Amino acid sequence: MTKYVIGATGALLGALIGTWLMLAPFALAYQGSGADWADPTYVDFWTGLPLLVISVAGLILYASGLVEELRRRGIMRRPYAASPGQPQAPGSPPENATGSENSMEQVLLPLVTAMLKDMQERDRERDGAREETLDDVRQTRDAGDEGSVRK
Amino acid sequence: MTSQARIGLIVTAIGFFTGIWLFLAPFMVEYQKVGQDWTEATKNDLWTGSALIAISALTLILFAAFALRDAARAVEQASTTEAEEN
Repeated sequence: MTKYVIGATGALLGALIGTWLMLAPFALAYQGSGADWADPTYVDFWTGLPLLVISVAGLILYASGLVEELRRRGIMRRPYAASPGQPQAPGSPPENATGSENSMEQVLLPLVTAMLKDMQERDRERDGAREETLDDVRQTRDAGDEGSVRK
Repeated sequence: MTSQARIGLIVTAIGFFTGIWLFLAPFMVEYQKVGQDWTEATKNDLWTGSALIAISALTLILFAAFALRDAARAVEQASTTEAEEN
């Protein structure tokens, strides 16, 4: 993986040198603006332009090699590819027929499960609270009855 | 090594030869006479060319070194799994 990063860095520096070569005759003023191009200008410009193009191509190639390596190691996912670890449920429609629906279901499934769990927990809490209040009411009623008997 | 890496290496090698060309261009195209003071264009070409040669050579050497390290690790892993299977 490191080799691709080094290659990409080298290609990026090459592209920067190519850009500098194209600009240098004007930046260092050995080519007057408006005047016919001198030999050094021709050499620098026509060396810098191909160098820039080739270096950008190299940068893209090294970056794609890095991405390939990351995908091979499982660090990056392949776009629009089904995850291999999820077996299809029996009776579910074939993958290629309703692939988008399946993926939508896969996205929504954890959300719906979490919502259901949350609702069940709330119901449980509500039932617990209701039982507690009923117990309190009973206790206060019993205490009242005891008081009236004493009188 | 992937095909992209191979082409990337060729591109880096082209960069190396471009550096050599830049180093020699002032004398080959004859806008710098031998024995005379160097012009601004010559100085620029020599410095840029030498930087390009250095960067390309370093990239090639480091890429080769890390590629060899990866290959050695792959061979080690393969031999370890083979030994475990046996």
